[in-house]
Amino acid sequence: MTTTHPGNAGGDQPVDLDDPDLSRFDIVRAGAREDDIEIVHYEPQVVPGSKAERRLSRTVASFFLLTGASATAFLAIYIWWPWEYELGHGGDKWYTPLLGVTLGISLLGIGFGVLTWGKKLLPKEVSVQDRHEGVVNERDRTITGQTMLYMADELGVKRRPLLGVSLLAGLAPVGAVAAAPLVGGLISQPHKNNQMFTTGFAPMEGGQKVRLVREDGRPIRPADISAGGQITVFPGIDHGVSNKYADSPALLIHLRDADALEAREANVRIGHDDFMWGNFAAYSKICTHAGCPASLYEQQTNRLLCPCHQSQFLITDNAKPIFGPASRRLPQLPIFVDDEGYFVATSDYTETVGPDFWERP
Amino acid sequence: MTSDNDRRRGLLARLRGRPASRSRGRRRLGAAVRLLAALMLAGGAYTAFAPSVQAQDTPMSSAATDGKALFNESCVSCHGRNAQGVEGRGPSLVGVGSASVEFQVGSGRMPMVRQEAQAPRKPPVFNDDEIRQLGQYIQELGGGPEVPAGEDLHKDGNLAAGGELFRINCSQCHAFGGGGGALSSGKYAPTLKPATDRQIYAAMLSGPQNMPVFGDNQITPEQKADIIAYIQETLNHNQDPGGFNLGRYGPSTEGLAIFLVGIVALVFTTLWIAGKS
Amino acid sequence: MKRRKFEMAAVPGNAARGVDDRFQVATPLRRLLNKVFPDHWSFLLGEIALFSFIVLLLTGVFLTFFFEPAMTEVIYNGSYAPLRGTPMSAAYASSLDITFDVRGGLIMRQMHHWAALLFMAAIVVHMLRVFFTGAFRKPREANWIIGSLLFWVGFLAGFTGYSLPDDGLSGTGLRIASGIMLSIPVIGSWLTSSIFDGEFPGTIIISRFYIAHVLLIPGLLLALIGAHLGLVFKQKHTQWPGPGRTNDNVVGERMFPRYALKQGGFFMVVFGVIALMAGLFQINPIWLFGPYEAWVVSAASQPDWYVMFLDGSTRLMPAWEIYIPIGDGYVIPPLFWPTVVLPGVLVGMSVLYPFIEARRLKDFRSHNLLQRPRDVPARSGLGAMAVTFYLVLALSGANDVIADKFNISLNAMTWGGRIGLLLLPPLAYFVTYRICLGLQQHDREVLAHGVETGIIRRLPDGRFVEVHQPLHREDGELEYVGWVVPKKMNRLGALGPAIRGFFYPIEKPAEAPVSPAPPVDSDTERSEISSGERR
Repeated sequence: MTTTHPGNAGGDQPVDLDDPDLSRFDIVRAGAREDDIEIVHYEPQVVPGSKAERRLSRTVASFFLLTGASATAFLAIYIWWPWEYELGHGGDKWYTPLLGVTLGISLLGIGFGVLTWGKKLLPKEVSVQDRHEGVVNERDRTITGQTMLYMADELGVKRRPLLGVSLLAGLAPVGAVAAAPLVGGLISQPHKNNQMFTTGFAPMEGGQKVRLVREDGRPIRPADISAGGQITVFPGIDHGVSNKYADSPALLIHLRDADALEAREANVRIGHDDFMWGNFAAYSKICTHAGCPASLYEQQTNRLLCPCHQSQFLITDNAKPIFGPASRRLPQLPIFVDDEGYFVATSDYTETVGPDFWERP
Repeated sequence: MTSDNDRRRGLLARLRGRPASRSRGRRRLGAAVRLLAALMLAGGAYTAFAPSVQAQDTPMSSAATDGKALFNESCVSCHGRNAQGVEGRGPSLVGVGSASVEFQVGSGRMPMVRQEAQAPRKPPVFNDDEIRQLGQYIQELGGGPEVPAGEDLHKDGNLAAGGELFRINCSQCHAFGGGGGALSSGKYAPTLKPATDRQIYAAMLSGPQNMPVFGDNQITPEQKADIIAYIQETLNHNQDPGGFNLGRYGPSTEGLAIFLVGIVALVFTTLWIAGKS
Repeated sequence: MKRRKFEMAAVPGNAARGVDDRFQVATPLRRLLNKVFPDHWSFLLGEIALFSFIVLLLTGVFLTFFFEPAMTEVIYNGSYAPLRGTPMSAAYASSLDITFDVRGGLIMRQMHHWAALLFMAAIVVHMLRVFFTGAFRKPREANWIIGSLLFWVGFLAGFTGYSLPDDGLSGTGLRIASGIMLSIPVIGSWLTSSIFDGEFPGTIIISRFYIAHVLLIPGLLLALIGAHLGLVFKQKHTQWPGPGRTNDNVVGERMFPRYALKQGGFFMVVFGVIALMAGLFQINPIWLFGPYEAWVVSAASQPDWYVMFLDGSTRLMPAWEIYIPIGDGYVIPPLFWPTVVLPGVLVGMSVLYPFIEARRLKDFRSHNLLQRPRDVPARSGLGAMAVTFYLVLALSGANDVIADKFNISLNAMTWGGRIGLLLLPPLAYFVTYRICLGLQQHDREVLAHGVETGIIRRLPDGRFVEVHQPLHREDGELEYVGWVVPKKMNRLGALGPAIRGFFYPIEKPAEAPVSPAPPVDSDTERSEISSGERR
């Protein structure tokens, strides 16, 4: 069957399927017509048995064979390649790339094999199908509409208003029942134990002040930090160095003399007179913008940069935000050195730590 | 005292590389003469600064003397006579220690080519001996931190401990993969890839540019070895197990790759599939 | 007993008969097999998303066998030496085990992640195609809305998945997400504390995200994708205008066998590209980020690309805090606007756009024919404006990486982004509008005067003119119908056929060249097309 341009003649009558002269394609076309599809152009791309067909078949076959070879390689690599991870350079580092490449090639092999098969070996066709959606069946619309109205009539909600009202009154709580366990189970009071306004640095019960400790729990002496240095400090309490006290960590900074002078003056301006100890100042490490650890301390410019949204805080001016989206100073932790020579927090942060929220002030 | 012209020529020559014609002996001689002149001229100034320069009490070692000559040739224009610093050009180097010299000069950051937000890394101008001499000079001038001897400073480092210290102290600026990152207003934390053990050690000790100081009082030499071990063995000399690492820039290059490789490849495929054959 | 001869050849026929006896599938199956699909490369973009979703399901199921969604603290003792002995959550430890101790686990993880990025990228590219060609118009508004929702549900799927490994990067992302939730006025603290069960990070968020990521969100995605495809099936695909194509028909190929074969092949290609990328490019090296600790962060902490525009908007937002002096005082933090309001506005705008456009053009008819972007300059301009807006935000989301690698000041990048966000979108609108008009004008010119032949003729009076080959007969006139106008002589068959072949030319001359003939039977169509904007 070459190009066919059938007219409409005979298109509407069903064909006689028992007609011995009918080819299989004729049946296909007749079937398509029953779905309002007209095959207007149907043209083999290759002559059966031709050189072109053999060539294309070979191409498709070689794609499939490539897949076989590559998939076999995948299996062999998966089983025999040394894959146990060891630090450094070595064969195990090639395990994943080799698996990916062999798997990829085998899948691409099937893909392009099938695509070539479909694209080059199957007949080209152009079919036209009617959409029918422009034709609105007014009759059906009327029937369906009337059926629905009839149902409403039979239910008689209009005639029996009590039923409707009571049904709604009954269903509304049922809906609430579905929501209640979910909401009730999930909801959690945010201000339990005043948790949003306190951190691990709050003095312990009995008024004992909390020490500043390193990540390994050791307390810190002033001599531990060189001028121009900084250290991340945690509350020296149980689990103080853990995500349980995610809001507590602070950056303890040893300022140079001139910078410390400036910082102290700034402190006095906002009433933080004795928050610093010597040239040391401690600021919350949790950004007041979105809560990332703002910890990129530039020791010459005394800026503290947050790597998430680039808010910049000026340490010598009470960690005032000077650039970026943060709108609030980093809370300062008041510190002093106890009798044993270790840093302690005089009190908790005097401002709320972490990202801003509605009822924060 | 050398003339301004002389100094510049000396610096430029060093930046370009060593002129072959100038023999070591002659250079020494020239340096000695200049040193003598500098000493004589500087003598007056010392009376004013004497209290802060203790090094004058004891005579300098020969390495320091050589270092001073080098200093007067290449560094004095910014850091001033006897490394006292020049307002607006270069800071005082009294008390920064040989660690600072080793880092700044050893990584080629000093001498600077021009004044900018931050001195970039470049091939070093001085050789190891000269850096040692310069370091010795600065060390004897005002003391300060020193890098311990040896090339391999992370022999017994503990990777896991180093990793933890790296993440808490270093990764915020140098990034998780040690590739460096941006700081405010054009400054940046450099990549750790080309850094040697000694340079990393020196940087921690001296806090170059805007890097905070991590003295031995804060991070012990053993912990420094751990950190260096983590940087060298986990970040720098460890092949990535998942293929090409896309520069370890995080999700930004991954997003670029999905469009430039994935989407482009597949759009080409759709063009081929739907193309007229 | 005589054994009946078993006829192999009759088996399929009998089986089919048996099936149809019971289920009566012959008629619907014929309809399905015969369904006609139009063929154009741009109609295959949505499939990329569909196929990556299938890859996501396959690889995701694999990962669930090994992932432990718990935040209980364990001491890592796996193959990756630099983390051995480190306390971490069970979720992170099991992610590391998938990477280093499950054979082939890393390739699965990387395929899953790359497929996720591809899923979102394909959704966006597909959405752009639908937008710029006007395929969202009546009767397909519902499908456009479902498609927009698919983007946002996919966004949630991606974000929850990004958070699961509980490494340093994903924890930082989670921290920012908690900050975003906190910033919502009035209910912020209640919402955050309810989701995290107390203060950030709590001990339950990974399990909650896990069930959302492996059950709720994929279920929702499946339902939406099902509805999306069902509507495409029911409403039939749109098609480009062209010869024989009208608003009331579909011209293309029947689903079987060729179209289905191509789809199947394309699925394998998408799958293969994902596998290749997973093998060649390392994605999200969680072992380098370490366990999440609230005080640890890395430079260049970014979300995956489809969230990056929100990160960018957050970075560009000036520090404008609204203080409400009632009682103790209340605040609306600056974080609220770029991360809650902006996405809300974007969802609203994308969902409402089909209705807004129909109202503005007073066009309430059904459209099954696509429009070329040049034919609707205002819409194309708006689209370009949106793309520019998005690009500025996405680039700003990576502005620290760009600043660092291209030696630009970080602060300058932020300011550049702020200014660019205001200036570039209107500029893009204007430029696109003019380009559309220019292209349209050129098409009309060719229709009126013909194709440039490249032949220069000297007139008797000494002037030079270029000879044009008219596309119509002496007396005829061609109307502009919004489809490709031939602009080269070889497209007319006058200079020999165009060279065939995709990557390299096939020397064999092609048969009949594409005819520039106007559409047959397109009276209805002409009015249809010219209803678009024209200036």
